[in-house]
Amino acid sequence: MSKVIKKRYTEEADYGFDYRTAREEAMRCLLCIDPPCSKGCPAGTDPGSFIRSIRFNNIKGAAETIRKNNILGGSCARICPYDRLCEEACSRSGIDKPIQIGRLQRFAIEQEKALKMKTLKAPKKKKPFKVACVGAGPASLACAAKLAQEGYQVTIFEEQEKAGGVLTYGITPSRLPEHVVAHDIKMVKDLGVKFVFNTKVGRDVDLDEMGFDAIFIGAGLWAAKLPDIPGVDKEGVWTAIDFLRKARIEKEKFQPGDNVIVIGGGDVAVDCATTAKLLGSKNVHIVYRRTIEEAPADMKEFKYALKLGIGITTNMAPAEVLGGKKVEGMAFKGRDGVSELKMKADAIVFAIGQKPEDMTAIANVKVTEKGTIKAGRNGKTNLAKVFAAGDIVNGGQTAVEAVAAGKDAADSIIAYLSKKEGVK
Amino acid sequence: MAVKKDLSIEYLGVMCENPFFLSSSPVAGNYDMVAKAFETGWGGVFFKTIGIFVADECSPRFDQNNKAGVPWIGFKNMEQISDKPTEQNFEFIYRLKKDYPDKVVVASVMGSNEDEWRELGKMAEQAGADMIECNFSCPQMTSHEMGSDVGTNLELVEKYSRAISSVTKLPVIAKMTPNITVMEPAAIAAIKGGAKGISAINTVKSITNLDYENLTAMPVVDGKSSISGYSGTAVKPIGLRFIANLASCPDLKGIPLSGIGGIETWNDCLDYMLVGARNVQVTTAVMQYGYEIVKDMINGMSHFMDERGIDDISELVGLALPNIVPAEDLNRDFKVIPKIDQKKCVGCGRCYVSCYDAAHQAIDWDSKKRKPSIDDEKCVGCHLCLNVCPVKDCILPGEIKWKEGRKQKEVKIKENYL
Repeated sequence: MSKVIKKRYTEEADYGFDYRTAREEAMRCLLCIDPPCSKGCPAGTDPGSFIRSIRFNNIKGAAETIRKNNILGGSCARICPYDRLCEEACSRSGIDKPIQIGRLQRFAIEQEKALKMKTLKAPKKKKPFKVACVGAGPASLACAAKLAQEGYQVTIFEEQEKAGGVLTYGITPSRLPEHVVAHDIKMVKDLGVKFVFNTKVGRDVDLDEMGFDAIFIGAGLWAAKLPDIPGVDKEGVWTAIDFLRKARIEKEKFQPGDNVIVIGGGDVAVDCATTAKLLGSKNVHIVYRRTIEEAPADMKEFKYALKLGIGITTNMAPAEVLGGKKVEGMAFKGRDGVSELKMKADAIVFAIGQKPEDMTAIANVKVTEKGTIKAGRNGKTNLAKVFAAGDIVNGGQTAVEAVAAGKDAADSIIAYLSKKEGVK
Repeated sequence: MAVKKDLSIEYLGVMCENPFFLSSSPVAGNYDMVAKAFETGWGGVFFKTIGIFVADECSPRFDQNNKAGVPWIGFKNMEQISDKPTEQNFEFIYRLKKDYPDKVVVASVMGSNEDEWRELGKMAEQAGADMIECNFSCPQMTSHEMGSDVGTNLELVEKYSRAISSVTKLPVIAKMTPNITVMEPAAIAAIKGGAKGISAINTVKSITNLDYENLTAMPVVDGKSSISGYSGTAVKPIGLRFIANLASCPDLKGIPLSGIGGIETWNDCLDYMLVGARNVQVTTAVMQYGYEIVKDMINGMSHFMDERGIDDISELVGLALPNIVPAEDLNRDFKVIPKIDQKKCVGCGRCYVSCYDAAHQAIDWDSKKRKPSIDDEKCVGCHLCLNVCPVKDCILPGEIKWKEGRKQKEVKIKENYL
């Protein structure tokens, strides 16, 4: 019998460090010159500096470094794919295994909260410019935080009732607890950024009429994809977004059924599967149409799913949803053209990616064939006063990359508004 | 643990099962403790110091220095000599000797005047102790008539050694304080007074850490603290130095030495023996890990002797002394250039940083490839890089370069690093 982890939906998946274990881990750091780990972080969180601070007993300094460089430092510490980023770059790997950078970052941010630190400040005297950010996900939050620190007046418009975007509605709380996201968002609020919830730009409000000097679109990808196969309209078929959001809101009251199949190979698919398992579903299975090697999900997330007792089947593509009005099962066709698979299911979750909603409803921006916004790495769109970054531009990457892009876009907005300031 | 070696060694006319002793301290404070230690394998005990004075202790009384992940690099102790009645302590010794006749029991004693020293000497002999150790060195006594203040006063050391030696036929050992610039005069004074052996070192006067809540040192006793004895791994180099000094002193030739200070492993014991100790005494590591550590001392030492083909452990005593020479006698005609194994190098750049900031800017750093290389001309062969490198065998001694005009001959260098 294999030992399977049994946890509640909101129970944390992983342990953190305390003062002693954090310093012990930091002691393993080789304190590299020109640290490769720091280069490995897209958002410039600078692990080389904050690990050094922990190593030399300057915990507050460590928290300061993280928060200054990455407004979502607490959330990124939990969900970053370090094994492909900072930890992959770690020189210590040449001796045994990399420093647990994510866990050290988590520790420093936990200390920031415990010690009630106030790292970031917005100037009292505001600049005479108002910026609107569309969406309250990682890209917008990062952009807004940077602008607010420079004295700009920022308002974030969010369709949902809470901020965080994918952090709040798209990841299981065991991996990213709500209080962690809330603490990060508080840092943004404390900078004086205004949040307008339950408001969809283009539907409920028109930014053009509201007199904003610049607009940032960090709307993310929130239109679900469903495959074009028979039976996807049956009761019990879920899109990943709806499934995760329902779980986030209803918590353990949400019971998706005993037999749950999740289709997909990304982190979102794994999150759907672990969510179902943690909510109490007995048989949870991930089915992916390619191989594990081709799957975009983090290996550590797959391993966690396996530890929870979730099965993973590869090289099987969805062919038909079976059942009457309600879902009863799912038929798959093998990539080899020979294999076939039929599985019983009470619920089927499609986690096969998300699409952009109609961005032209927000502003007259140029979009790609896929509907994402055409923007440069600096966040500039075809419209001088409109900027965009994050998933809505890159088609769906990690939160830390959205933070990086949001920061870069803020720089472009500052440059744009600084020119106008000369005129005003 | 298959290798078994005879580790017995003669010490002051007594055959000891092995050279591993508990030192007079909290780890050897009553019958049950010492009995358990004997059963575990310790060869003997220097029983916790007995006085006419019975100690009144403070709470708490310990503190430690650590580096993250490595606790107890150093340990601070404010406990004094035994807090048990004098007679009870000698009764423990009597019973221990009766129940464990083959183990060696040394009565550690401390008086505050000649009469007390004489009285303690008589009682120790009556109790059946094998020998007596005079504690001239405890740095945290509440009376200045006792402890390390006595150990730094040559006149008192000689007088008290004479007082106790005059009343007993048991061998008397004097335990030295390291809180002194040179130890030889105090040791010579003890021998002049009649002592037959020397133990070193007792603890080093210290302040380990400051407490920011009470603005005092650690440990905090009702908002105050005191300077007191420091022990553990951190003091081993100091202990080794004093033992080597004593062992090399012509006036102390033939005087058996007992090594104390920072002993945790068999090779710590070996180090003390190689510089002249006939046996070793341990406290701090036992306080941290218990008596069981002696098992790996016995077995580890046996393996070492097996490896070197040594059957008599006493052959090890002082073996390294001829090679520990005054600084002016070292061969200064050459430098050993380190070599970097580029395959093993993980590219951290620590050698470059240390060489630049603290040595001779003799390492070039290729920031693109993240690889260091040594500039033979600038390198002085200090080996700071070798010491800072985190990778085993990545930086090792390499080519020997002779200073201009110096006569070349064969030199011995260390080749294997752990």
